[in-house]
Amino acid sequence: MNTPLVALASVVALVLAALGGLSTALRRRTGLAHLVAAGALEAVLLVQLALVAVAMAGGQRPPETATFLAYLISVVLVPVAGVLWARSEPTRWAGTVLAVAALVVSVMVWRLLQLWEATGA
Amino acid sequence: MPDRFGAPAAEPSDAAGSARGPGRVLVAVYGTFALAAGARAAVQLATRFDEAPVAYLLSAFSAVVYVVATVGLARGGRGGRRTAVVACLVELVGVLVVGTLSLADRAAFPDATVWSVYGQGYGFIPLALPVLGLLWLRHLGEVERDAADQKSPPPPKSPKSPPPKSPPASAPGSPPPPSS
Repeated sequence: MNTPLVALASVVALVLAALGGLSTALRRRTGLAHLVAAGALEAVLLVQLALVAVAMAGGQRPPETATFLAYLISVVLVPVAGVLWARSEPTRWAGTVLAVAALVVSVMVWRLLQLWEATGA
Repeated sequence: MPDRFGAPAAEPSDAAGSARGPGRVLVAVYGTFALAAGARAAVQLATRFDEAPVAYLLSAFSAVVYVVATVGLARGGRGGRRTAVVACLVELVGVLVVGTLSLADRAAFPDATVWSVYGQGYGFIPLALPVLGLLWLRHLGEVERDAADQKSPPPPKSPKSPPPKSPPASAPGSPPPPSS
């Protein structure tokens, strides 16, 4: 788990949040652009999950393991839930729901990094 | 432009439709907080209850309040709204009281809760959320009243609060009882 990857994840998440806000402002539902951004975000999160899994298999453990694992697993599920919710929402607020999910991810990845880096201390 | 930015959105026209739109966003945020507070409380209570029992029990309580508010907002309708209003009020009082106490008496709150320092750890969203929730619920009530005004008669009262069978004669606005 490292800072560049977390930064990348939060940048992609912020792009997704902006797209979501834009579609609400334009009175539109979510479209291909949102799916692509959400897919990119999910890909980054899965890479992070894999890297952490390898590191943990190698014996590295954050002190608050339970909290860390809860964050690690739920952060991967949040974009999926956001997309499913947004696709089923017929009003223009679909984009905002997706933006909320993206912002949640952008906060969670930094908290995750914080929990992980407590190891070395 | 093809569907890149999505098809034009459906414009809600009736009360039910307008309950769906922005209300969904509120439900999403409330759901997130219900999960976050619940998970946090579960971990805190399970692993180190002895360190700060007050703070951790408050975390659990706030999680319950968020769950109730989420369910009330998501269900909608008259009952759902009433539930959500109560939950939002409890939340508002909770965040104000706990926020003040956590500043005044730091010893009682050695570890943070969702409501500590008015929700500072969560970007003060816990402070804004009940206010937004109450504003939204008030708006829904107005929308419903307008809809009810247009198509009379108004819906029958809920069985929980039947009108008093013999209102006091001095009650303002009530017709005097027929004298026989």
